Amino acid sequence: MRKTIITAAAAALGLAAPLVQADDGSDLNNDVRLGLYYVHYAASADNITGPYSPPCPPDCLNLRLEDLETPYFAYVRRLSTHFLVEVAGGWPPLTRTVGRGPATLGSVPYNGQVIATARWIAPTALFEYQFFDDTAALRPYFGVGVNYTDFYSRQSTAAGDAVTGGPTSVALPSSWGPAATIGVAYRIAPRWHAYASYNYAYVHSRLTADTAGFIHTTDINFNPRALVISIGYAF
Amino acid sequence: MVRTGGVLCAALALLLAGGTLIYNPPARLASLDAPTLTEELGSTTSGQQLLALAGSPICGVDFYYIEYYTVGAKNETATASGALMVPTGSSPPCTGPRPIVLYAHGTTAAKTYNIANIADSTNPAYSESALVAAVFAANGYIVVAPNYAGYDISSLPYHPFLNGSQQSKDMTDALTAARAALPNTFTPGTTDGGQLFVTGYSEGGYVAMATVKAMTAAGQTVTASAPMSGPYALEAFGDAVFLGSVNIASTEFAPLITTSYQEAYGNLYTEPTDIYEPQFAPSMFELLPSDTPIDTLYANGTLPETALFSNSTPNATTYPQLPPQLVALLAIPSNPVFAIGFGTPNLITNDYRVSYALDAVTNPDGAVMAPPSVALAATPQNTLRIALKTNDIRDGSFWAPSGPMLMCGGDQDPTVFFPLDTGTMATYWAGLPAGLITVLDVNAAPTANDPFAPLQLAFQEDIASILASSGEVGVAESYHTTVAPFCTVAARSFFSQF
Repeated sequence: MRKTIITAAAAALGLAAPLVQADDGSDLNNDVRLGLYYVHYAASADNITGPYSPPCPPDCLNLRLEDLETPYFAYVRRLSTHFLVEVAGGWPPLTRTVGRGPATLGSVPYNGQVIATARWIAPTALFEYQFFDDTAALRPYFGVGVNYTDFYSRQSTAAGDAVTGGPTSVALPSSWGPAATIGVAYRIAPRWHAYASYNYAYVHSRLTADTAGFIHTTDINFNPRALVISIGYAF
Repeated sequence: MVRTGGVLCAALALLLAGGTLIYNPPARLASLDAPTLTEELGSTTSGQQLLALAGSPICGVDFYYIEYYTVGAKNETATASGALMVPTGSSPPCTGPRPIVLYAHGTTAAKTYNIANIADSTNPAYSESALVAAVFAANGYIVVAPNYAGYDISSLPYHPFLNGSQQSKDMTDALTAARAALPNTFTPGTTDGGQLFVTGYSEGGYVAMATVKAMTAAGQTVTASAPMSGPYALEAFGDAVFLGSVNIASTEFAPLITTSYQEAYGNLYTEPTDIYEPQFAPSMFELLPSDTPIDTLYANGTLPETALFSNSTPNATTYPQLPPQLVALLAIPSNPVFAIGFGTPNLITNDYRVSYALDAVTNPDGAVMAPPSVALAATPQNTLRIALKTNDIRDGSFWAPSGPMLMCGGDQDPTVFFPLDTGTMATYWAGLPAGLITVLDVNAAPTANDPFAPLQLAFQEDIASILASSGEVGVAESYHTTVAPFCTVAARSFFSQF
């Protein structure tokens, strides 16, 4: 009776194990993971071009992106002992675009100013290979796949409007590109693992800013590199 | 359906009405606080001279680019652009209700002229933009300055040069658009204080006076005005040029004015060769304003640099119909500055010059043929003269500005003749109450207690310096542009009384 109560409580918490399971976890084909993305943008962008841009050189206008952290979640389907498919995403983060170039344009601050913000949703599908077998405490893995990034809530900030000369609409088309990951899984228990991975995705877009009919553009390669620390539960 | 179409047409007409702002809020192209503006101006020799003359900026200046609807010479809908310069800063003269200066710029051959673009020193409007900003906006005046239809992004494929009716509409349309933009700038607390001053230089001097005339006729209030070095008495000016007093830059003005009036009235010529020598005629109609620098047009032979007329002047053999006095008038003048306008290859044919000159002596303009009369020709026959008369500020029934006017210029100006233009208008208005019209000749000897004496002395020092370094030719070439900052500062001083 006591055992039944404990089992029911565990099931209610979502921690219940199958009534029959292998000790090595080899029959657990589904895995959900929660963690944190630490995103570093090694972004590169062409100098901004458009009407009334200052002469470049010397006053070239460019951009950089602020690093950020955001929750990570993924669903992983185990295909075999060594092969997995991961569909990963993150809580849409607020990405801040920062001016890089001259300190001021006239008297308007530019360098270091957050001139635009955007949120993005970026699901990534990865086909992964895990080394060793299911009983190993540490299992390195790597994977390749595809990333789709859609930018939304694109806004020019007050500082951005001051730079561009007025209320500005920002367009940033979505991006498709290859993605890759390399990481290691640590077996805490048959159902619980800790993961650390380093991820890269090719995210490229063309930023277009429209201020009273004046169009300024730049091609941006976002180059996001993300360290992910997560906990996974297999079932 | 018909009703719907009518509503749509009415809505479209409203959208395209003169003075409608195309983008509101307008784009700010530059924002310079007072120290930055001082630094920007101080980075060049001419800017340092301007600072010395205009004084250090009290306010910063935001430069907005306005695009608006106006009309062409045939009342066709057109787009145009210009500048709205708004003083910034927390000093009392830089915020709150401020007076507006409506400024008309001088002649330019550069199609890309954009007086709002202070950020680019290679922009052909840069020096005039800096002048207007330093003199007016940096001292608390909101400045509205159209680029004119036909320039910059304008949809009009020609420029209605010296067309008083069109250009005064362009000015008031720019003013209407700027007033609509003001509440939506980065400094909405800076508002139209209700005072309106109208000024401009050279072509802009003419445009400023034509605008005052049009606004006066419409019952609109102009607080005060200051047309500067403008060709107000157009018919007299044209007659003087054709009779041998060829002004500096005449070969630039000629295609601008003939295209303007051909577009407006359609009767200046049947073929360009009716006016122009065959080698130049094919390109004249669409030549100016141009994306090609005018020095390049001179250098590649598209336009003669100075030779408006042939140095083989009409004589009794080639033109037996000419009376001897007219043959003498048409000969190369003894004045060396006017003589520069004769050469080979020349722009305007002798046939056309003779035709114009015969009309000028048969139907004389009083200011040229019988001063101190300022009467326009009663019945000119030459179509160019008719167009010049139509656009002459004296045309129509007598009029006078309702607010004080300062007419400023330099009496030795070889580009726009001060005695013939400003002098004629001064005579035209001689009977008005004292104080309504003020004439300032920056080249005149200062008189006791003259508030403009320091400007006159400074101008004359500048001319003496140019004479010493570049001789009389240098003075002739730069005189007109040298007058501009002195008269502009005089205009500000004049406006500050009201």
